[in-house]
Amino acid sequence: MSARYSLLTYIAVAVGLGAIALAGNAFLIQAAIGVAISAILALSWDILSRTGQVSLGQSAFFGIGAYGSGLLTPQFGVVLGWVAGILLCAVAAILIGLVTLRLRRLYFTIATLSFGLSMQVLILVTPGITGGSTGIMPPVLMGGSPPAQLLLITGFLVVAAIVSDIFLSDRFRPAFFMIRSNPALAASSGVPVVATKIMAFAVSGMVAGVAGACYGGLYGYVIPEDVFTPNWSILPLAVSILGGMDTTLGPILGALVLRFLEEIARHYVGGVGYQVVYGAVIILFIVILPRGLVGGLRQLLRKLARRDAVPARSRSEAKA
Amino acid sequence: MTDLCVSGCTVAFGGLKAINDLTLTIPSGAITGLIGPNGSGKSTFCNMVSGQIPPSGGRVRLGEKDITGWRSDQAVAAGLARTYQVPRVPKELTIGEVIGVPFRYARSSRELPRQMSTTADLARFCGLAPALDTACADLSISDLRRLEIARALACKPRVLLLDEAMAGLSLEDTAQVIELVREVHAAGITIVVIEHVMRIIATLCQHAVVLNNGRLLSQGTPEVVLRDPAVREAYLGKGFGP
Amino acid sequence: MTLASVAQAVLLSLTVAGLYAAIAAGLTLTVGVTRIINFAHGEFVMLGAFLTYFLFNQHGVSPWIGMVVSGVVIGLFSALVYRVFLARVLKHDEHNQLLATLGLSILLVNIAIILWSPDPRVMQAPQLLPALQLGGVTVPGNNLVVAGVGGLLFLALQYIMRHTRYGTQMRFASDDAELAMHCGINVDRIFELSFVIGGVAAGVAGGLVALILYVHPVVGLDLVIRAFAIITLGGLGNIPGALIGAAILALAEGLTSTFVPHGGSFGYGIAFLLLLLVLVIWPNGLFGKQAHS
Repeated sequence: MSARYSLLTYIAVAVGLGAIALAGNAFLIQAAIGVAISAILALSWDILSRTGQVSLGQSAFFGIGAYGSGLLTPQFGVVLGWVAGILLCAVAAILIGLVTLRLRRLYFTIATLSFGLSMQVLILVTPGITGGSTGIMPPVLMGGSPPAQLLLITGFLVVAAIVSDIFLSDRFRPAFFMIRSNPALAASSGVPVVATKIMAFAVSGMVAGVAGACYGGLYGYVIPEDVFTPNWSILPLAVSILGGMDTTLGPILGALVLRFLEEIARHYVGGVGYQVVYGAVIILFIVILPRGLVGGLRQLLRKLARRDAVPARSRSEAKA
Repeated sequence: MTDLCVSGCTVAFGGLKAINDLTLTIPSGAITGLIGPNGSGKSTFCNMVSGQIPPSGGRVRLGEKDITGWRSDQAVAAGLARTYQVPRVPKELTIGEVIGVPFRYARSSRELPRQMSTTADLARFCGLAPALDTACADLSISDLRRLEIARALACKPRVLLLDEAMAGLSLEDTAQVIELVREVHAAGITIVVIEHVMRIIATLCQHAVVLNNGRLLSQGTPEVVLRDPAVREAYLGKGFGP
Repeated sequence: MTLASVAQAVLLSLTVAGLYAAIAAGLTLTVGVTRIINFAHGEFVMLGAFLTYFLFNQHGVSPWIGMVVSGVVIGLFSALVYRVFLARVLKHDEHNQLLATLGLSILLVNIAIILWSPDPRVMQAPQLLPALQLGGVTVPGNNLVVAGVGGLLFLALQYIMRHTRYGTQMRFASDDAELAMHCGINVDRIFELSFVIGGVAAGVAGGLVALILYVHPVVGLDLVIRAFAIITLGGLGNIPGALIGAAILALAEGLTSTFVPHGGSFGYGIAFLLLLLVLVIWPNGLFGKQAHS
């Protein structure tokens, strides 16, 4: 059942974003690129959160992806450079995963936040390798053609969605959720808890790294504040929760809605302080739809289904 | 022959020794009752042998394997499964998904008999009436206990530790779970029952082990152990013995 | 690097530590009791700073009074925020609570940007105390005020937690909210109280910010991020730990910005390198309680 819905999601994403790329409206293309990158990043956060690791450090992997691919592409070419950059994210994720593994929940969140912020310092103190505060000039993606960039990033988004769905399959979903709500029970069911959490961290880091690499290749110019800002850590959290956690559709839908509202706000409130709408939307959603768009939708469907099923149920209860 | 054997084990929390230089053996192929007053170390024993808390000294052996200090998932792979007294299963999962986790992940080399070989069989065997796609959030306490036994059995264990699997159940449910434990035993699995209801130990177990203050107080057949003056004293305090 | 320059850097850092301690002590109190990572704490500080600033610049109110007024006003404001909004998310999952306070923080920062522009302002307050001369070292009077008031605030919070009935109830509720509820403690009320106390501390700390730092809409974010490092260093909920964490961080920052080339641009990155280092060795902070597993 879920496989069919997933296929629909992939097709909707590919067709929707592909159509925008082909239609050629410059503003829409830029907006769609923003949505796709946000969605990839949000999926990376969601995959990790399914093991109970609530991270505020996705900006670190976003930035490492941008810097890694940007610095390595001139050396190794696009394909190898990107692969190496993304692998760098996996290595960083495994290291930070090992450090944060023992931390209890709030400590974990703050430690990941600190990891993201420390990365900026690391860049600043290594100007010889990373360009320091002046930033780097990664090769521009697809020769700088926005429609082609959008098509490529759409492809990555579909890949990220497939990865997310793999971790929602029967093989991983129950084990992940068990680790999240009761790690001792998971271990007593034969799940190697530590290895699984680290694996989720590595995959999440790599997916976030892809988002960062895409972002870095958009304009051919990246400074540390662009990619290591805490905004890239807050965004995936907001997008996933507002869209609906523990799903693939949720982060994609959330990215679409949040970016759409942000653009409207930018239009009406202006460049300064437009994020006031962002804050207000988060607050409204948290109060009205705590389980996100997808969660709210499911609840609605269940309520409708239950109304239909009432006669059948009362019959079975009468029998019991 | 013994299936599970601890020798010279100690587990300390701060200054308190919950398990104190404990040596005991669980006979193979039997139902053994592990009893003792509150705070005697029963739960710590369970956590120690199943890999939640490593002992600070001594050895834990499962059959020929030395599993001292192994993680829980490694202990499961070696053939030791346990249930939890308060089964906190993820609310968002279904019965089938919970039982499916050990079926997928437990690397035990043993095979379960035919009547327990699939998720559906195991649920039926354990008397779980609700359908496999029922969410765990909707289960009654008695079904949660059955689910917990089914989950532990899906680890394909040679030794199964039941941590107060009947606590909080009605008389009727308790009788059914006792019957279930007998059937599991009949399938060739060594069982350790942690209980504080003496009547259950007396009717269910062939062997009984009594802990007090983290040490072995008495062991033998249930009749012998329950008549042991030292056991009565530990439970009831001085002056209540015969 | 002369002895005098080191002494100067150390003394100035210690006065900044007073500010950090004031912010972190309030934060660790609310986080320790409610177990919510409250990002909006920084915005309470920011609003307090603006209030003190406007009271002085537009009405000539002394910053001494300004601090007290912003403590009271921000305390009331945090009670409002708690009742209208945060009480509703307390029963939600941890990530929802986190996002709720992040959303609140973003909202308040941007309202401040719209109302008062993102530009930094200087209060240009007179020195409230005479400067301290020690050998060749000078500590400006307002830095002394910051250290002194920060220290007093810290002592007051410590006193409330240790020696009042409410403090006992707050510690109880933070250990085990459910058990506390069964013992007849109104946990909701205690949570609100911890929020208000944290809010008052944030308001007063905002007044201190106006004395020695630029006043601008994101000043709270910069500070709360440091405060998170501090309270994690000290162990969540541990008020004396927050003081020591504040001193460590302020010293580390002060010394790097004085003696490391471009050290001033590292900002709060220092805080977090330090924190990562500590958490590798002590997973519960320097003085945190042992995990309940």
